[in-house]
Amino acid sequence: MPAPSHNSGDDIVQSLVADKSHDSAVDEPMLYFAAVTDGPEIANIGKKRKGLGVGAWLSIIWLALLLTSSFAAPFLPIPDPINDVELPRSGGGKAVVIATPPSLDHLFGLDGSGHDVLSRVIWGARNSLLIGIVSVGLGLLVGGVLGNIAGYFKGKIGGFIGSVLDILLAFPQLILALFVVTVLGHTVANVTFALAIVSTPVLARIARASALSWSEREFVLAARAQGATHRRVIWREVLPNVLPAMFSIALLGIAVVIVAEAGLAIIGAGVKPEVVTWGNIIVGGQGELRGAAHIVLAPSLIIFLTVLSLNFLGDVVRARSDVRDSAL
Amino acid sequence: MRMIFTKLVRLVVVLFVVTFLSFWFIKLIGGNNDLVAKMIPFASIEEKERVREEIGLNKPFFVQYRNWIGNFVTGDLGQIYTGSGANVASVPVSETIVKRLPVSLELMLYAQLLALAIAIPLGVFTAYRAGSKFDRGSNMAAFGLLALPQFVVALLLATYVGAKWQLLPTQANVDPFPLSPADNWQYMLMPIISLALAQIAIYTRLLRSDMIATLQEDFITTAKAKGIPAKRVLFRHALRPSSLTLLTVAGLNVGALIGGAVVIERIFQVPGIGGLLAASILSQQYLLTQSLVVLIAIFYILLNFFVDILYSVLDPRIRHARAVA
Repeated sequence: MPAPSHNSGDDIVQSLVADKSHDSAVDEPMLYFAAVTDGPEIANIGKKRKGLGVGAWLSIIWLALLLTSSFAAPFLPIPDPINDVELPRSGGGKAVVIATPPSLDHLFGLDGSGHDVLSRVIWGARNSLLIGIVSVGLGLLVGGVLGNIAGYFKGKIGGFIGSVLDILLAFPQLILALFVVTVLGHTVANVTFALAIVSTPVLARIARASALSWSEREFVLAARAQGATHRRVIWREVLPNVLPAMFSIALLGIAVVIVAEAGLAIIGAGVKPEVVTWGNIIVGGQGELRGAAHIVLAPSLIIFLTVLSLNFLGDVVRARSDVRDSAL
Repeated sequence: MRMIFTKLVRLVVVLFVVTFLSFWFIKLIGGNNDLVAKMIPFASIEEKERVREEIGLNKPFFVQYRNWIGNFVTGDLGQIYTGSGANVASVPVSETIVKRLPVSLELMLYAQLLALAIAIPLGVFTAYRAGSKFDRGSNMAAFGLLALPQFVVALLLATYVGAKWQLLPTQANVDPFPLSPADNWQYMLMPIISLALAQIAIYTRLLRSDMIATLQEDFITTAKAKGIPAKRVLFRHALRPSSLTLLTVAGLNVGALIGGAVVIERIFQVPGIGGLLAASILSQQYLLTQSLVVLIAIFYILLNFFVDILYSVLDPRIRHARAVA
């Protein structure tokens, strides 16, 4: 462990600069996160941490609505997304399948095979949210452990884990996921696993950066001086401080994964088409942009609102957990 | 100098590990016999055996790796095998890549230029008038843009500009695809906008926050006190020291875009590298996949390296701090 006693001004500049330039070389995957959470956060504009604010409540309500409706999908009075097909009849009494635009009977309209799009979006939320939450959860678990260890034990262990992460990050993320899914097969579980692999190094690097700075603090040194084991120090002193930052990033990560699922589906490497996910609904409507744009636009709108809510909440969590911004 | 040397050593190690991992990974999923069987499933047994011989799959693993690296360095990226029965034909991978690379480069370059052209004035102005209505509005818009996935922008453009209003062709699947921007702009415009939109939000926010910090420095106060017009202070004095993060990020983004444009290339059927990579994986042409993944990874790592060097060249503080070490 290097002694944290820099006295000369040059040393401090040097260490700051070295830190910054090192990070600059590997920060790209966190770019998205940085951009979302950088600068004077939008969540706090015109308001100083009294209550959560309208935006945060709207985000929470939207996400809660999404979660409950996707949990309750089997009990909701909506047509089955796969088996219920409504065939509008034309003059001759012959059944003609057309994708009808939104109406009072079908708020999001029907798709080309006569499925209710609203029902498909709700059922799709089940799979898309499942993929998002589970893969980021897995990434958080593995990445969090690796990152905390790497950040706490700098030296050789930290260096080794750091280089492994760098190498993993050298592959384009979506390509890596695409690769894993193709090899393992197009099931919900495999897509989840692939996206977990992709999100692990990103989350690990953020945990590492955070653990690195917290490990330098006096209370960590104090705990060590009292004879606490490394495990106890990580568990009781470092981890509780790293957790809020990780949680904020995890919210953004879920948004990224939901988008990635749809991206994989569009490429043709997502979950197999008969399973209803947001990505697959979009793919199903891609051929009918001219006549029935609502099939694509409805899930796109839902994805946009979900990502917006998750970003916003992530921003709020970060702003509240950030020491500089808190009510000190 | 010593810094550059250490970085070079590290670069070589990372390059070695990345090539080795990609090579091993492909073997792992393909297996020696499977690899050929998947590439040309309908070829006769003799043909498959001949191809196996040609690729050198019967040799030991490390010999294969050595040969592959040797060929790779000399520009021989292997062959794409197609056909059935006794008619197996092959095309060099490099030929296909050379045809598609310009399209991808054009896409990336123009997406970056468009994003920077909008983000730089916007970032400078919002920093100059930080806290104003316009600043808050643009901040809000940037936040919204970040939540808008690229494929949603692409689908919206394809729906309205392409399908409904018929202003631009939705699909770029013309053969041969014109390589000059003057001839292919109508196919490239929508993909470029789809890729640029989210970048504008990222770049504006980055530049704005760096710029706000710079504007509080003493030399800006001095410049203002000398009576230099605000416009000149902003673009001449403040922009350069504030643009470091932006440059780094924009540089790295070029690399990320090569792989990241896969979805956009797919939606608009643009014949670029991203589309080729996706197609190679889906059609199980793993030799092509291997070459592409390694090329992209190398490109990305080299880009990182040069951005890192450039970073220290641009910021004298970094250069001097390092020189002391």
